[in-house]
Amino acid sequence: MRLRIHHRTEYTYPQPVSESANEVRLKPRQNRWQDCDSCLISVLPAAPLTPYLDLYQNQAHRFQVTEPHIRLVVDSRARVTTKPRIDFEQLPYGMTISDLKQLQELESCYPFLQPSHYISLDREIWRQAVDIQGQSTDVFQTAYAIMEHIFDVYDYREGTTVVSTPAHEVIQQKTGVCQDFAHAMVALCRSLRMPTRYVSGYFFDATHDHHLRGSQASHAWAEVYLKDVGWVGFDPTNRKVVDETYITLAIGRDYQDVAPVAGTFYGGSETLLNVDVSIRRLERAI
Amino acid sequence: MTFTVTGDTVHGTERIFPFDLIPRVIPDAEWQKIEQGLSQRIIALNLFLNDIYHGGKIIADGIIPEDVVKSAAHYRPEMVGVDVPKDIYIHICGSDLIRDGEGNYLVLEDNGRCPSGVSYLLENREAMKRAVPGMYRALGVRPVDDYADLLRKTLEFLSPRQAQSPVCVVLTPGLYNSAYFEHSFLARQMGIEIVEGRDLVAIDGYVYMRTTRGLVQVDVIYRRIDDDFLDPQVFREDSMLGVPGLMDAYLKGNVALANAVGTGVADDKVTYAYVPDMIRYYLAQEPIIDNVPTYLGWREGDRRYILEHLEELVVKAANESGGYGMLMGPSSTKEERVVFAQRIEAEPRNYVAQPVVSLSRHPTICGDHIEGRHVDLRPFVLYGEDIEIIPGGLTRVALTKGSLVVNSSQGGGSKDTWVLYQ
Amino acid sequence: MLSRVADSLYWLSRYIEHAENLARLVEVTRRDSLAIRGASSGESIWRPILFASDLEDEYENAASDDEKNADVGYFVTLSVDNPDSIRRCIALARENARVVRDQISEEMWVELNSIHLYLKSQAAEQDYLQDPDRLFRKIIRFSVVFQGLTASTILHDEGWQFSRLGQFIERTDKTSRILDTLTFTGDEPERSELLSVLRACSSFAAFRKEYVDGVSFRNVASFLLFSQAFPRSVRFCLRRLDETLHAISGVAPGAFSNEAERLTGSALAQINFSSVDEVWSRGLHKSIDDLQVRLNNIGQQIYETYVHLPFEIRNVTRTEGIPLDWRHQQQQQQQ
Repeated sequence: MRLRIHHRTEYTYPQPVSESANEVRLKPRQNRWQDCDSCLISVLPAAPLTPYLDLYQNQAHRFQVTEPHIRLVVDSRARVTTKPRIDFEQLPYGMTISDLKQLQELESCYPFLQPSHYISLDREIWRQAVDIQGQSTDVFQTAYAIMEHIFDVYDYREGTTVVSTPAHEVIQQKTGVCQDFAHAMVALCRSLRMPTRYVSGYFFDATHDHHLRGSQASHAWAEVYLKDVGWVGFDPTNRKVVDETYITLAIGRDYQDVAPVAGTFYGGSETLLNVDVSIRRLERAI
Repeated sequence: MTFTVTGDTVHGTERIFPFDLIPRVIPDAEWQKIEQGLSQRIIALNLFLNDIYHGGKIIADGIIPEDVVKSAAHYRPEMVGVDVPKDIYIHICGSDLIRDGEGNYLVLEDNGRCPSGVSYLLENREAMKRAVPGMYRALGVRPVDDYADLLRKTLEFLSPRQAQSPVCVVLTPGLYNSAYFEHSFLARQMGIEIVEGRDLVAIDGYVYMRTTRGLVQVDVIYRRIDDDFLDPQVFREDSMLGVPGLMDAYLKGNVALANAVGTGVADDKVTYAYVPDMIRYYLAQEPIIDNVPTYLGWREGDRRYILEHLEELVVKAANESGGYGMLMGPSSTKEERVVFAQRIEAEPRNYVAQPVVSLSRHPTICGDHIEGRHVDLRPFVLYGEDIEIIPGGLTRVALTKGSLVVNSSQGGGSKDTWVLYQ
Repeated sequence: MLSRVADSLYWLSRYIEHAENLARLVEVTRRDSLAIRGASSGESIWRPILFASDLEDEYENAASDDEKNADVGYFVTLSVDNPDSIRRCIALARENARVVRDQISEEMWVELNSIHLYLKSQAAEQDYLQDPDRLFRKIIRFSVVFQGLTASTILHDEGWQFSRLGQFIERTDKTSRILDTLTFTGDEPERSELLSVLRACSSFAAFRKEYVDGVSFRNVASFLLFSQAFPRSVRFCLRRLDETLHAISGVAPGAFSNEAERLTGSALAQINFSSVDEVWSRGLHKSIDDLQVRLNNIGQQIYETYVHLPFEIRNVTRTEGIPLDWRHQQQQQQQ
């Protein structure tokens, strides 16, 4: 599926600010399910970008705007070709909870089994995870059940959480937006010793009535590692196993590692943020 | 289809722009690359314009010499510190592409002021649809007919009055302009008024058009008039084409202009040489489409090279367009070379030179048979809320055997360009 | 719509109407001059044409500069030195049509362009010498076809109304001027002159239908001024003018919202409530003179109401029949 993304982040400051230092993770990752055909990131006030790879091999860019400014705009325009990620006729059942032990030592899994900035692994979270797991011994089935649980029980409501709300609060109040749902899923899965990572990206709503969530902004979901299969994505916001309508921007332990745009500045305390994401499917022959 | 040619001998005459029936076909993969390369380029050019009119980091960081920017004929000191609507300077860009011996596309020049030719593209397509409907359908050619809609959206996006439906107009120098046909064609296709300077009036920082029902406020002007002629109060005093007070309204943000004022510095042929560096600087990536190697008259080493190799190079005046003020080294006479050498010595800043790139050739009908003729490609880029490039572009063809000059004003013709779905 | 566009549509149809009237006038005069072979001199027969088109001074100048222009027929038809010749009028009509290409139909443009190319060509010069009938038939036929196309191939919207204004104001003007040629010598016109005037207005057959009692000066004047049904009579044209102005402003008939409407209404009322006797007692020439002044004012008022802005009008002077002194066009390079 060929998709075209335009992601615009605009900060407006009522008082001029300066010495703004920022980091963006807006370039779609290159992997076996998706080819990033091009990605153009631009910043206003115009500033040079410095690219670097972070700990998790996400392509990040740094930039600085030192002069006083009242607006900062980060535009990202990308074209991505996605491929089917999962065979829905043959879902990857088969890995059992007891197999998880082998993964503990894997370098690629280790960070995604630990508590992190947003993710604490306490007794209460574990208790809830075990409840959801029920009698299942299958990892995929368990992850799927956790996703369904969040989708069914949690209340999707904007304004009930903030960007810094940690997973345990989400699990307690059972409300939030996609970032919170993904954090909840990461925490619940990790508490069962399933390697789980947080994914930031986009989601193209291919349904006719566009009833799914997350296609108007940057989206987030969780990926669980399955032996012999690799990372499989679960989107608790839409109760979907991640397929070719998803585009991965960055992966990490939680939001902290992958924030699409983050930075600091001097001056002014207020900031107005406006984010606009539009995703279009490129036309095919009729 | 007719257009008019300016020059020493012919004046205000209408000529037919010849049209060749054999379309140029561009496969999908090739087009993807062109599209991405041009998007990259228009973003970099816009960042560059934003930058140089707001402090000039790229100059401070030593990427582009200050002299190059400030000495460009179309640099507008009036625009320093001005925030243009939506921060976009070049909304409509026509970059000329050629292919080298290996089949790689190269950018020959950027037209970031008022590029013309899109009407030929649209008309050529209509002609081809009638001429070979079967082939057109069977091949799966991507349509171009939403250009006018996209252009209108691009313009409306700039409106300072978002609350109500914006009043957009096409501002033409008038009937005698060589591209008048195109101006009126586009206005008709977009369903907006085509106006001349005298149809507009600026009062207290707002621009209005005169209608039989009185004055109607104008929000967006798609101007097909160079900066110089826009406003006699600010630029050329003798301009009869412009609107006194237009710049005042523009600077107050009450009317938007497409393209913005001051974009000419980006399509200056010396600035052109720095576009790849701009891309690296602002976007932290390599150019997707390269430049043609360019020697700059103002660089001493380059100038010596140019003067020593005039016979092999194409010399261009930095601020001219449309194939005017050009020396085609290999086909030039000794006298012409002497004249150009003197001009280069006198005004080094104003001249650049490029090796003759053997433009790719394309089968073209010549009388009763088919021969290869040199072609280039001018795709049209629209930069509004999104960046849109209509699939294809105007393929210009040099109708004289062996000629490399494809400009319509210099005896070129055109072809339809077919971008395939697959 | 844009004022300039309205103005161009107005002048487009006005120039064409003007050219047609000139063509008929020249053709009729030419025939008369053939009929009165060896009459006093060609001069006296051709004089009234110059008079009717207000060209006496231009003619004197042009004739002394170029001998070709000494032929009044040529001067009025094809001369490039006469700013008001048929050839020049058609060229100006075409210039105006170019401005509004997108407002008129392709058919209208093709017709206009082909008559323009013909009048510019050697063929027209040749026809003038060898087959003048063909030349004048072509011009008149063109005008009739063009007006037919105007009625049947474009939207009857505001732009169309402006073209009607141009057509009817010019027609009123020309009919009255042609009639006025009868007062030129001051003598009672001869029957042949009366017939020429009727023919120059394409009105001979129509006249015979309304006035069975014969061709007299009074009858001809009465017909051309007052006929209710003849589409070139002053009354008929003023009524159309009045209707059209109201159609543009949307103001109810009888009321007025601008000077053009007021002046037209009053000119029409004058015609409606007066008679040939009154005209006769005031003098035909004087009455026509008054009408001309009114028509000039109406034209000026249409311009001021719809084309120019009040605060800019002060410095603008304009002569009827001569293209607007718009700012000059300037060439710009193509990119």
